[in-house]
Amino acid sequence: MKTRKKSRLGKPGIVSEISFYIILGLFCAACIIPFIFVVIISFSSEESIRAIGYSFRPIKWSTGAYQYVFQLGDQLWRSYFNSFFVTIVGTVTSLLMTIMYSYALFRKDFKYRNFFTFFAFFTTLFGGGLVPTFMVCKQLLHLSNNYAALIVPALISPFNIIIMRTFFSSSIPTELIEAAAIDGSGEYRTLFGIIIPIAKPGIATVGLLTALSYWNEWFLAMLYIKDSKYIPLQYLLMKMQNQADFLFKNASVIGVEASKMLRDLPSASLRMALVVFIVVPIAFAYPFFQRYIISGLTIGSVKG
Amino acid sequence: MKKIVALLLVACMIIGSFTACGKNNGGNGTDANGRPKDHVTLKMYFHGSNVSDDKKVLEEVNKYLDEKLNVTLEPIWGTWGDFDTNAVLAINGNDDVDIYFTCSWSADEYNLFAKRGAWVRLDNPENNLLEKYGKEVWNLLPDVLTTGAKIEGSDGFGVYAVPGYKDIACQLCWDINVPLLEKYGYTVDDIKKTDYYGFGEILAKVKAGEGENFYPLLIEGAVAERMVDNSIIVAGDSGSTNLLSYYINPTKTSDKGAYGDVILNKFATDEYKKFVTKTREYFLKGYIDPGLANAEQANNLRSEKQLTGQYLIGTQSYSLGYETQASAERGFQVAFVGTTPAYVDTTSSQGAMMAISTASKNPERAMMFLNLLNTDPYLFTLLDYGVEGVHYTKNDIGEVEFIENERAKYSPWTNGMGNVTLLPPQKGQGADFWTKFKAYYGAADRIPILGFTFNSDPVSNELAAVANAAAEYALTLSVGAVDPEQVLPAFLKKLNDNGMQKIIDEANAQLQNFLKNK
Repeated sequence: MKTRKKSRLGKPGIVSEISFYIILGLFCAACIIPFIFVVIISFSSEESIRAIGYSFRPIKWSTGAYQYVFQLGDQLWRSYFNSFFVTIVGTVTSLLMTIMYSYALFRKDFKYRNFFTFFAFFTTLFGGGLVPTFMVCKQLLHLSNNYAALIVPALISPFNIIIMRTFFSSSIPTELIEAAAIDGSGEYRTLFGIIIPIAKPGIATVGLLTALSYWNEWFLAMLYIKDSKYIPLQYLLMKMQNQADFLFKNASVIGVEASKMLRDLPSASLRMALVVFIVVPIAFAYPFFQRYIISGLTIGSVKG
Repeated sequence: MKKIVALLLVACMIIGSFTACGKNNGGNGTDANGRPKDHVTLKMYFHGSNVSDDKKVLEEVNKYLDEKLNVTLEPIWGTWGDFDTNAVLAINGNDDVDIYFTCSWSADEYNLFAKRGAWVRLDNPENNLLEKYGKEVWNLLPDVLTTGAKIEGSDGFGVYAVPGYKDIACQLCWDINVPLLEKYGYTVDDIKKTDYYGFGEILAKVKAGEGENFYPLLIEGAVAERMVDNSIIVAGDSGSTNLLSYYINPTKTSDKGAYGDVILNKFATDEYKKFVTKTREYFLKGYIDPGLANAEQANNLRSEKQLTGQYLIGTQSYSLGYETQASAERGFQVAFVGTTPAYVDTTSSQGAMMAISTASKNPERAMMFLNLLNTDPYLFTLLDYGVEGVHYTKNDIGEVEFIENERAKYSPWTNGMGNVTLLPPQKGQGADFWTKFKAYYGAADRIPILGFTFNSDPVSNELAAVANAAAEYALTLSVGAVDPEQVLPAFLKKLNDNGMQKIIDEANAQLQNFLKNK
């Protein structure tokens, strides 16, 4: 009787277990196959791509694309550095701000709590749109051709604030803060010395989300960066892709020059090699976060 | 709570109104050296550049500009990939850019943004910039460019940009691999004498001689279609798969074509049917590489085969002097045979222009600068080719040879810069290149609907749906990879179901309106 009850609660039936595994297996495959495909294309020879298109079984293998990437030299490493720099600085700053904002919202004794909750929440529903954002960033804040342009516009995400606040309110008892206050701890000490260590899983989750979005960000670079010194890796790739698309589309009006310029552009396998360069570092970041994420995933499931 | 929101809103509005004003007048009056008094910085947005290091060039340019106009130039090197999004954003965002590249095919389309009030009208009687500061450039431009630039805009009918003097005419040509042709006992004259429908015999002989893996006909489907049918792109429709067609007269392009002044759905004409049927025949006989039907790879494949000479007849949009350049690049003699004389259409006459933004604080100085850039060979060559001795050297007859390493870091898009006839000729072009250039392009006829641009805004939904259908069928049909007997009717049905007729009607209504006002 006791065991039956336990199995009903803890373990699904054999049929549903198998179907779960199949569904999850398919999902994993859907995630990983495109990446494997990209790796294969990056190692395919140009002739093979030309003859049979992209294929899992190219006629001929080649490391030409990677050799070319290494010859790109300065710009590649510069962009690599930029991507890392922006991701690290951006994530740390963004986390700090998110934690402080959401901690204030979480504190019930904060007077303007409702207003600031609404203030953050409002922006998820109504945005100014691209043009006003561009005007504010470029003309008012002078975010162009510097690292700040890549970091500042993405510093605060209301979504992350809401996650963080929910995490605080589900894992931190108010009594803890009161106890700390009675023992003479100031506000900053309470936050950094007591709250943050408890909230590590939540911070790791939000941190990973932020790091990912910084790492994959190319749109900001397209808008605000003209100087190749500050171009991150993603935008380097986007630029190649956009140029190829544009020239292809407008070849008929640009005429002779377009076909020549198209010929000078990096090939498909090279672009895929760059994708590999982009994906690998961030894929290595996952294991570090994983420990926390599993506990972080339960955020919100305990309390609403 | 409500109060705070209201306060915030008010604060925003006040800040907004502060930033909105603040236009000052460009410097009037001159100093002792005869240059304008106040020093200003001009920002200029270029298209299609490949520039990673402009330090040395800008040093020289700004030294010169400081002497002449008391101006510092700050170029923004837009690339093919980012110009469309960024330039439009900068215009809409009222960014402090003084001069923009604009034309009939980029996203900051000349006509459209003139109507929206993004460009300063240069011949506006109130400021008369062109009359005061731009006379020299205006007088040296060919008539076809100055008339092509006059359009309906926010300040009435007039000039809203300075056209660049570049290859202003369009001519589509058969691209002939001469050594291979002669190997089988034919000459270029044999190609000139016949047409697409008569290529069969030559293609058959070459295919038989060169073997199974050789495909003699290396065509870009859409271009071949235009060449064979004498149809042209209607300006304003170039972003999509080119659904609209106007038919020109193949012998005298200033006369009316087979259909008169109407715009047609190109896929529904008899010409198109005849073309795809013939192409299908060529395809089945093995004259066309099946790889050309793959949209992803067709371009790479074509340029690869051109370079290695694995073709007999190809398609090419021509510009003067390209046979020398192509022959040098490919290492064998290439000849080009035009299917029509060179002609000027809207796309080519508004192919590259420089407009002064209404957000510019110094439109007078911008006009002075444009005038100088388009008339001063030293400045133009410096800005386009770079510094002599650093980016290029000149040989004894004055032709330019680039220093590859430095040029790779500084390659603006020449045709997007302005008056290219100011440049010294490049190696292999010959010292009299620009005389020939002016003769060739000066002789080009205008098509009857020169100046017309289709405004797709009223039918943008239909256009998107129809463009999807076209992307699915047009390429494979035009290189013969599918059977037109079955596919063409299905394609046409899909086009009509998605509102093709509405687009055609709209285009024709606009065209009739344009012709009436002309």
